[in-house]
Amino acid sequence: MARVHNWQIGRSMSYWYPESRPQRQFAAVFDINKCIACQTCTLACKTTWTSGKGQEYMLWNNVETKPYGFYPLAWDVKLLSELGPQTWNGGTYEGRTIFEAARPGERALGWRPGDLDYAHPNVGEDDCAGRVENGASLSVPHMTWFFYLARICNHCTYPACLASCPRGSIYKRPEDGVVLLDQGRCRGYQECVKACPYKKVFYNPMTGTSEKCIACFPKLEQGLQPQCFVNCIGKIRLAGWISTPDKAREDNPLDYLVHIRKVAKPLFPQLGLEPNVYYIPPLHAPAPFLQQMFGPGVEDAMATYRAADADLAGLLGLFGSTEKVVPRFKRQGDVVIGMEENGTEIVRVPLREPIHVRAATDPRFGVVRTNCP
Amino acid sequence: MRMRPVFAVAFSAALLGAFACGPREPPTSAEVVAVSRASIPADPADAVWHEAPVHVAPLLLQDMVEPRLLQASTGAVRVQAVTDGARVAFRLEWADTTADDLPLPARFSDACAVQLPTRVQADVPAPQMGEAGRPVEIVLWRASWQAVVDGRGDTIQDLHPRASVDHYPFEAAPAGAPRQEMAARYSPARALGNTMAGPRERPVEDLVAEGPGTLKPAAGDSSGRGRRTREGWAVVLSRRLPAGLAPGTRSQAAFAVWEGAREEAGSRKMRTGWVPILVEKKP
Repeated sequence: MARVHNWQIGRSMSYWYPESRPQRQFAAVFDINKCIACQTCTLACKTTWTSGKGQEYMLWNNVETKPYGFYPLAWDVKLLSELGPQTWNGGTYEGRTIFEAARPGERALGWRPGDLDYAHPNVGEDDCAGRVENGASLSVPHMTWFFYLARICNHCTYPACLASCPRGSIYKRPEDGVVLLDQGRCRGYQECVKACPYKKVFYNPMTGTSEKCIACFPKLEQGLQPQCFVNCIGKIRLAGWISTPDKAREDNPLDYLVHIRKVAKPLFPQLGLEPNVYYIPPLHAPAPFLQQMFGPGVEDAMATYRAADADLAGLLGLFGSTEKVVPRFKRQGDVVIGMEENGTEIVRVPLREPIHVRAATDPRFGVVRTNCP
Repeated sequence: MRMRPVFAVAFSAALLGAFACGPREPPTSAEVVAVSRASIPADPADAVWHEAPVHVAPLLLQDMVEPRLLQASTGAVRVQAVTDGARVAFRLEWADTTADDLPLPARFSDACAVQLPTRVQADVPAPQMGEAGRPVEIVLWRASWQAVVDGRGDTIQDLHPRASVDHYPFEAAPAGAPRQEMAARYSPARALGNTMAGPRERPVEDLVAEGPGTLKPAAGDSSGRGRRTREGWAVVLSRRLPAGLAPGTRSQAAFAVWEGAREEAGSRKMRTGWVPILVEKKP
């Protein structure tokens, strides 16, 4: 075991390999407030990558309803329960990560879902956290609530799948931090399936190997965002490159959202993997639930998001505006511009889309207009 | 024709004795002795196995490298061997109350393996998968591969009979090469020629290793056949004799057993250390 620094938990921790950060790290921000669980992302991924024999149950991308939706069943609550108390002292995690809580003979604390755990991808869909009683009223946070959690592989800085593979079949690409599973080398021991706390590695019974999200690396290599990003009709996703907090740049969209404005938070940072998909928490859900899921600073994130200024709101407008990865951005008055690393403009988005209101009736013909196309 | 009473009594006694005693138990041996025969048996139920001495090898936990096995499962494996001078067949038999041959999430196959040093030498490599520069050769048998060889199909319905699949995109391609090419796009392990990825024609695989975590496929012509017994599994694994292991010489062999029901796979296994093996000369 080596000692490595994990900025998300504010301390160093034990990991199977020494710290070795890539030249740049693929990362993403998902704005939960915009997700409607249409599953277009799920199908975009499914049709692109996992339509083969043995991949029938695989969802490298899925959207589940929290608090009662899971894919696979109970993936998060089961591990949280086994991990025990997860206490924070400010920005420092004082509990154990899954590497520090590993049982004898193991490299990480984990569990392996069975086929029945994968059999109900829509379990808990649209289930509220509680009953809607008489006298209920709408205020924030909602008295009863649910929200949609879209999930892909987090391409973690300290992947548990990679640490657990006894054959070294999983590697993190130095050029972009994407975590890949070598299909030529894997022998299907399912250690990675057991160790990944997010359960984003899947065993393929037809090939006898395990498979996982590849962040659409053939697209990334061409400067394009992955399929689940560009097909998102809610425009909730933005892909990019994230720096460590000490090297954060204001003109980097990912750095700006995660490090500068701190509106986007990692998923279960206490597990210790430094995951690289960040979530803007849902405004209507109760803070204690969100704190457990996204770590400290959730309430500040929601306050900042609620009072978004022109820079923040403008950057949120870049989500879903182009297929290209946007490494830099700037705001000029009422326009936000997405740029290549060298400053070349990629896309230009107005801060507010122009609104045209058409009168409900047409006085010339004395008829009521309908909105039928 | 009527039998004479005296002859009838003697015949009946002989018949009764034959059924009461069953086949003769083979002798036991402190080492694995590959007995010489004109041909090697392919089937674990072959009668020749009644003549080959049995070496009962106690199995040890693999608890030296992670991921480790910390709870013992299979206690011992009964090893026999037969050689024809060019090839050697091992018969491994062990107790296992559950037949595990389904490759599914969190399901693991029963399996066994024979390991031999690549070179016959007095100073053998480490029994745990060999060591750098001192390789070992392994023949691995898996129950899940045996099931495929015995006729189980290569579809999800063969694993989950009630599974329903609307459509595979590659089915839209014209039959033959175009369809196979498109199917390979959704099966990268097969496209890359990973020997794990089937479809399988034999239930065994030839492998070579130079230490834990270095296992890789090797050229070889091993064959195998596994059968369920009343108590567990009996498996024959046969391969050519390693270079230098001529009839009349001694070397070392090691054995491993995986209990699928205990989620044993890879380095989580029960194994032996090196066991002496004598290859008999032709009589």
